Amino acid sequence: MEELIEQLKAQIIEVLNLEDMTPADIDANAPLFGEGLGLDSIDVLELIVMLEKEYGIRLSNPAEGKAIFASVATIADYVSKNRKK
Amino acid sequence: MKTLSTLTITPAGATLNGTLLAEAGITGLYRRFVGDYPKFFKMDHLCKLGLLGAELLLKDFTPEEKERGAVVIFNRSGSLDADRHYQSTLAADNYFPSPALFVYTLANIVTGEIAIRHKIYGETSFYIMDARDDTAMQCILDSTLLTSDPSFILTGWIEYAGEDDYIADMKIMIQE
Repeated sequence: MEELIEQLKAQIIEVLNLEDMTPADIDANAPLFGEGLGLDSIDVLELIVMLEKEYGIRLSNPAEGKAIFASVATIADYVSKNRKK
Repeated sequence: MKTLSTLTITPAGATLNGTLLAEAGITGLYRRFVGDYPKFFKMDHLCKLGLLGAELLLKDFTPEEKERGAVVIFNRSGSLDADRHYQSTLAADNYFPSPALFVYTLANIVTGEIAIRHKIYGETSFYIMDARDDTAMQCILDSTLLTSDPSFILTGWIEYAGEDDYIADMKIMIQE
């Protein structure tokens, strides 16, 4: 799981163009939206695309999004259980 | 209407009121003169140029003056660079359309980004022309001054066609 978390941090930095950040700057348990990284609604769409592209995961239930994208750790947990590649 | 200050950004660097500020590219100028707006890195090149220009030209304005300002930008190619970038995510064999790129496939986003950053609540508009026409541009600026009475107009011609081919030729105009 630790490896997946580090991989996700690097992918999030890349797809969201967080150029001044390194994986070490991201707390895996910190909120991604509002406080924490302060991501916005476009960013979450970009993360949904990233999950499909990198892990073959298509989010079929939008209501799940809030829980899945709460933090890097929750994304990692969801990816580990649902990844197709 | 008179010109208060002028700024030019090209691959050779940035020149403010005729004085060379720095010989640096777009990201280099951001790191040297802005540095505290991470959203910059998410923007398309048109917005980056506009934002840099606004940052350098508006640094001496008060928040109250900015509230009543106007932003009027011109160019020829609209958001073509961002359009091409977005199109590259639509390849048939690798179809992952990027929402973050899509939001910049509209040229007037640059005026909104500048207004958001500086809390400018006056007119914002973006005009696309077949070629730069300073006479027509001045007519539009005169009209803006008459119809909305802004405290200043941040205006200019901004084009991005590649890392070796871009220009932001911007200025601040005020009523005499």
